[in-house]
Amino acid sequence: MAANFWTSSHYKHLLDQEDVDMVNPLDKEKGITLEDFKLIKMHMANYILKLAQQVKVRQRVVATAVTYMRRVYTKKSMTEYDPRLVAPTCLYLASKAEESTVQARLLVFYIKKLYADDKYRYEIKDILEMEMKVLEALNYYLVVYHPYRSLSPLLQDAGLNDLNMTQLTWGLVNDTYKMDLILVHPPHLIALACIYIASVLREKDTTAWFEELRVDMNVVKNISMEILDFYESNRMFTEERINAALQKLTLRP
Amino acid sequence: MGDGGGSNRSNSNKPEWLQQYDLIGKIGEGTYGLVFLARIKSSTNRGKSIAIKKFKQSKDGDGVSPTAIREIMLLREITHENVVKLVNVHINHVDMSLYLAFDYAEHDLYEIIRHHRDKVNQSINQYTVKSLLWQLLNGLNYLHSNWIIHRDLKPSNILVMGEGEEHGVVKIADFGLARIYQAPLKPLSDNGVVVTIWYRAPELLLGAKHYTSAVDMWAVGCIFAELLTLKPLFQGAEVKATPNPFQLDQLDKIFKVLGHPTLEKWPSLANLPHWQQDTQHIQAHKYDNTSLYSVVHLSPKSPAFDLLSKMLEYDPRKRITAAQALEHEYFKIEPVPGRNAFVPCQPGETFVNYPTRPVDTTTDFEGTTNMQSSQPVSSGAAVSGSMPGGHVSNRSVPRPMNVGSMQRIPHQAMQAYNLTSQAGMGGGMNPGGIPMQRGVPQQQLRRKDQMGMPGYPPPQKSRRI
Repeated sequence: MAANFWTSSHYKHLLDQEDVDMVNPLDKEKGITLEDFKLIKMHMANYILKLAQQVKVRQRVVATAVTYMRRVYTKKSMTEYDPRLVAPTCLYLASKAEESTVQARLLVFYIKKLYADDKYRYEIKDILEMEMKVLEALNYYLVVYHPYRSLSPLLQDAGLNDLNMTQLTWGLVNDTYKMDLILVHPPHLIALACIYIASVLREKDTTAWFEELRVDMNVVKNISMEILDFYESNRMFTEERINAALQKLTLRP
Repeated sequence: MGDGGGSNRSNSNKPEWLQQYDLIGKIGEGTYGLVFLARIKSSTNRGKSIAIKKFKQSKDGDGVSPTAIREIMLLREITHENVVKLVNVHINHVDMSLYLAFDYAEHDLYEIIRHHRDKVNQSINQYTVKSLLWQLLNGLNYLHSNWIIHRDLKPSNILVMGEGEEHGVVKIADFGLARIYQAPLKPLSDNGVVVTIWYRAPELLLGAKHYTSAVDMWAVGCIFAELLTLKPLFQGAEVKATPNPFQLDQLDKIFKVLGHPTLEKWPSLANLPHWQQDTQHIQAHKYDNTSLYSVVHLSPKSPAFDLLSKMLEYDPRKRITAAQALEHEYFKIEPVPGRNAFVPCQPGETFVNYPTRPVDTTTDFEGTTNMQSSQPVSSGAAVSGSMPGGHVSNRSVPRPMNVGSMQRIPHQAMQAYNLTSQAGMGGGMNPGGIPMQRGVPQQQLRRKDQMGMPGYPPPQKSRRI
């Protein structure tokens, strides 16, 4: 499993975009639109990253935590599972799964430091209770494969493993966690899409190299388009819109 | 809360999921929890035995123990005939405890070896040794090819299925210390985990910072020798200190049998911390010649000895891998290994009727002793048919214990027994069920019935149709 993505639970449980984009009926009742849904998840991915930087865990832990969070919301509503608690809990659980355990009290400390808003305030016992509910929601499937692992061998193979390209593609992969790509596509295809974008941006000719790979170039191009669309619309994701979306969740239906 | 999973206010004493099982009793206890034997109630799998490992909430107030997380994480991904099967995971939101349900395995190598040594006083049949070893290697090869190192292989973690469709099939258990070893986030030696030192590879004893799959193969070599001689091969006295004390006695026990390692045969030896720092200690005694063959009573020219010595190769890089070991000549000559390690292929050969695992029926899922609620239990799968060779393998040894007899045993005696067994065992615990609780009296009572009569049907009176 650990060596073979194709026999992993991650591969077996990849979802169709339509399933990922299903807003839970309970949230729908509160007026949450698909766009709100995506916005909140993006905001929570950012929240996880900010917390992770405070407690100093690796990017892989962040990526696993964000994946857990996104998986939870393919099964559970935000109404029942408050994203402001689910996000730090996923980081907590991922830190254990990725062998760099972060103490719950440390997370609670930095949550208070990051957000003065009472709505973000949760105590240790809340995180511990949510940890079990997240485990349940994930159906105890905890191994996640990330694009990072295939990135450097691929870059090397393409002869693009200079510092500039490495940093650019690494940053692009980081940004893919602001979307649901990890729930839908095999990680090596996400890595390839990031290489594709980077090579277009830096005007490197990789056509021949991509042709030699035995992958579906259409999928790679579609993923790339999705990433570029995201950057395009990124400007519109303002703080106000995120807060408005979160505000809907607190309303009584 | 919309769905059952999230309802943490269902305050019934028995969580809903638990009602699908009949609790039989406690079969083991370890540092991080208890193991119970239960039977499935549902009509589809009625009577199927399940081992349920309960993880206590960690004491430091930090949620589900990372050990449990890693065990679930790995077991959820792996499926192999020779690896214990995780059937279900349950959570009790009320007391925040976590339960892992496994297919139940009646036996383990610790008990099998002990039975031969202390009760039947004869070595384990060659067919059985070879079949157990082959299946162990087969499971390990699967794990290693999936980049998983077990790290805590020892006889009590190698389970063997009791009667039923999988009778005599080996199951590797206890993945609490197992690791995926591509790109570990921290050097694995930093975890300060304590495991039995008898099966620990020399590179680890000498302070190697990173584990490789070769450490598991060393342990297999030690287990192989123990199956042959019924005695632990390298029985060092453990130095108890934290973290990771230098285990000189364990190394000395190894050197005494295998001879002193040399830089010639093991070049990377020079880089190992303890080899550099503790030279005078390590090299105080000089053991030049290997006496392994005489210790294990094998001819130095036999395939069995060849395989064993390749598993006990000092240099981890030269040590035989699980995949290579499976191809070894030893497994190609008679008797060839089989799926049921207990039942020999050649008719007419005797085989041993192994005792069933002791069950403490006075303990409930909360781990509290409850004399009243202990239920009388039927003797399970009582009768099996005749086996080749005219011998009857019959597991009708009465499983239940009498509450009264438990109370009659002086408490102190039990404690003393438990202490000594712990000293030998060194902690750890295994998911399919554990041979701890060795001091539980019904075990002693029952085992007495069986003494000196291997392979013979137990007394008629205990048989149920």
